[in-house]
Amino acid sequence: MTAYGQEKYFYLTLNGNKPLSNTDWIGDFSLSGGRIGYRGFISPNFSAGLDISWMNFDQYEPVNTQQTGSGAITSDYFHYIYSYSAAVSGQYYFKEADEDRLLPYAGLGLGAKTNEYVLYYNIYEDAERTWGFLARPELGVIYRLTEHGSFGIMAAVHYDYSTNKSEKFGYNNFSSLGFQIGIVAVSLY
Amino acid sequence: MKNLIYALTAACLLSWGCQPEPDAAKLIDDMVVSTNYDPEADFDGYLTYAIPTDTIGYISNTSNDTILVSPKSDFPRHVLTAIRQNLDARGYTRVAREEDPDVGINVLVVNDFNVFQEIVYPGYYGYPGNYYPGYWGYGSYYYYPYINTYAYNTGVLIIEMVDLKNRTPDNKVKVVWDAYIGDLYSTIDRLPTSARAIDQAFFQSPYLDKQ
Repeated sequence: MTAYGQEKYFYLTLNGNKPLSNTDWIGDFSLSGGRIGYRGFISPNFSAGLDISWMNFDQYEPVNTQQTGSGAITSDYFHYIYSYSAAVSGQYYFKEADEDRLLPYAGLGLGAKTNEYVLYYNIYEDAERTWGFLARPELGVIYRLTEHGSFGIMAAVHYDYSTNKSEKFGYNNFSSLGFQIGIVAVSLY
Repeated sequence: MKNLIYALTAACLLSWGCQPEPDAAKLIDDMVVSTNYDPEADFDGYLTYAIPTDTIGYISNTSNDTILVSPKSDFPRHVLTAIRQNLDARGYTRVAREEDPDVGINVLVVNDFNVFQEIVYPGYYGYPGNYYPGYWGYGSYYYYPYINTYAYNTGVLIIEMVDLKNRTPDNKVKVVWDAYIGDLYSTIDRLPTSARAIDQAFFQSPYLDKQ
């Protein structure tokens, strides 16, 4: 077995998130998302890599009447956010990578996020796409299923903060708290 | 085997994460009802109205028809009756066109026509311009003092209250209240849904009440 610390891993996880910004518009927890990534060890305790994430949030607003200056509009509304991000990330492992099957870590990802805010009502929709800088601190653990095996499980919690601003939909920024759980493939090559 | 596990897992997660949209049936459960009024209008001064019995206007990119008539279509009479009932219930009196009504009620359906896809600024004189068939004999000039950022481009029922009492010396009139109700064509059970939407249009316009 090659030392874990000399290797790399890929992961694919289910990504659940709860929005923390403008929760009146969407505050519901969502499990509709995922993340895929690559991380290579640059020392026994450090790795660096790339994370690609996607998330969908939605919330229903029952029929209501809103005043609009010199008038009013009545409808029900479906609020949606389609979110995609890419981040370069680094991780510090609290144990050396080949020391244990259980490998807790703390990491930080920096990158870009694009959010599309969409308001559906009847056959109509209003939408706005925004781009922002993303910072994502993360605490997680990797657990190898067997001592020398290539497969493992990853679980992590993370906080996403991005500068995606949408005046139209009332966002100064976008943040969420999430968790991810999925599979890890160690040293595929 | 490993490849299979990866492929299945990836397919599962990717499909879970793909861009979902609202359920279409839930989306069209209720029509959108938008109303606007002219803040300068004196609604208390309008006592009588005129309205067609069985004809409404029709604007379409895909048809040369300019009107919908009952009994060829059951929609006009149904809609006009609902509007009449709402006006009567609010204290207005229906009179014939020749009896010099205070307001005229115009009703039209706009089908597949991108007339509302831009913001309509106060003082903008472009709408509805040539579209209007001129039921009332007062030409097609309308002052439209509202901002509307909603895009209507399929089937919209439009109800207009036109001030005939204060028309200008050169016979120009303006719309003092209007309602946009859509979408007409994706709605299931169009007649009762339209009637409910018309009730809602009046309900959310309390300044029209006389009692």
